[in-house]
Amino acid sequence: MLKKRLIGVVTVRQGLAVQSFGYSRYMPLGKVEIVVENLNRWGADEILIQCIDRSKFKLGPDFNLLKRISSVGLSTPVIYGGGIRNVSDAVQVVNNGADRILLDAALWDSSNEIEFFSKALGSQALIANITITHRNGNLYWNNYRRDQIQLIETNFYEKNQLDCISEIMLTDMNNEGCNNSFDEKIIELFPSNEKSLILFGGLSEYNQIQRFLSKNNVVAVGVGNSLNYKEHALQKIKQNLKGIAMRTAQFNKSEK
Amino acid sequence: MKPKKIGIINYGVGNHSSILRSFENLNYRCIVSCAQSELTECSILVLPGVGAFPAAMSALVESKLDIYIKNKAREGIPIIGLCLGMQLFADISYENGITTGLGLIPGEVVPLIGKKYHVGWNTIKVVNDDEFISSSDQQSVYFNHSFVFDSPKEFIICTTEFDKSITAGIRKNNIVGLQFHPEKSQIIGQDMLKNLVERLSLHA
Repeated sequence: MLKKRLIGVVTVRQGLAVQSFGYSRYMPLGKVEIVVENLNRWGADEILIQCIDRSKFKLGPDFNLLKRISSVGLSTPVIYGGGIRNVSDAVQVVNNGADRILLDAALWDSSNEIEFFSKALGSQALIANITITHRNGNLYWNNYRRDQIQLIETNFYEKNQLDCISEIMLTDMNNEGCNNSFDEKIIELFPSNEKSLILFGGLSEYNQIQRFLSKNNVVAVGVGNSLNYKEHALQKIKQNLKGIAMRTAQFNKSEK
Repeated sequence: MKPKKIGIINYGVGNHSSILRSFENLNYRCIVSCAQSELTECSILVLPGVGAFPAAMSALVESKLDIYIKNKAREGIPIIGLCLGMQLFADISYENGITTGLGLIPGEVVPLIGKKYHVGWNTIKVVNDDEFISSSDQQSVYFNHSFVFDSPKEFIICTTEFDKSITAGIRKNNIVGLQFHPEKSQIIGQDMLKNLVERLSLHA
């Protein structure tokens, strides 16, 4: 049976791992390599590295960072997002150590090329990051680089050529970085489809994560800041989820 | 004892570094190369792969590594295929059209039926107690694919449940293919790779 996943999210700004609060305030955590090494040791199901300033400043993917992370020798699958502009970038990101890629800016700037990303890497490698908010009963997709929003309607998938993408990550932009605050209304309003969803932003508490993972179309949740607040946070989330098919928590012998 | 030397075939497709690190962590000598002269010095070959079948096969043909791999298989050199690398062992693939594969293990690569993407951690069931991976029965490993190797039962060494039972591993003599990523399956995957290399070395 396919397990639900707990994804450790590492937000990277100016080459450093940071805690992010609504993508507007940041606190440095340190070297990305150290943070991902911890997530690897704690048994995260996947590690998402999102470099939030690469597209905004047209820097392209951070290949040096990927190489440094590769040298750590992670045995956990890595998803990389940040600065991916075209198919060539995406292929190089995978060749430099990522297992899957998170598309964000490319969905706005190269939406007619998504099919080619799929032909090069396979749709299973592609995740669409939809930074989302709602107002007056409507959902809006936010383009943070241009302060541009798009109303999410029932033809959302066709309009944005998302057929070639395996999973959609819904990022609650207002609650990102906050505890226990992912807005359930987002899932209620999001057009139903067979696409699997990953939720991120404001997920921290056991009961809350359990509630969302119980939904059929939610295959994974991403947790970021709250993993830094207590010892064995990731393992404890896993231990406290009841009735969810998930890999068991992993502890080093000395950590039990 | 002299450590075994593993050759990871570099044909420009996929992430070789994590496979390299996995074998190095297990204390095997390991190289990543596209040079046949270097690969020939290795006792076990590994064919990785991420992406789509036609592009990967085209890269193998262009570098003439397709012929090299077939020759090595004929000589009885152990070969491990991982994910797309495993699918390349097939006779034919229907991904983005029809493409001929290496033809090392009978079967076809076909799209998953029902749910289109098998992504995440799933449990494998070892079939017929195959000695190469019997110790990994009922363990969770990481999958990331949308096509699957449809092979005659006699070559299937493990399966996994996803809508229905699908192929997770195949073997024909010294050629072993794993649909999942042992190099990304944490401790379970490391144990599996070690066991596989040791068993293949005995049969080489």
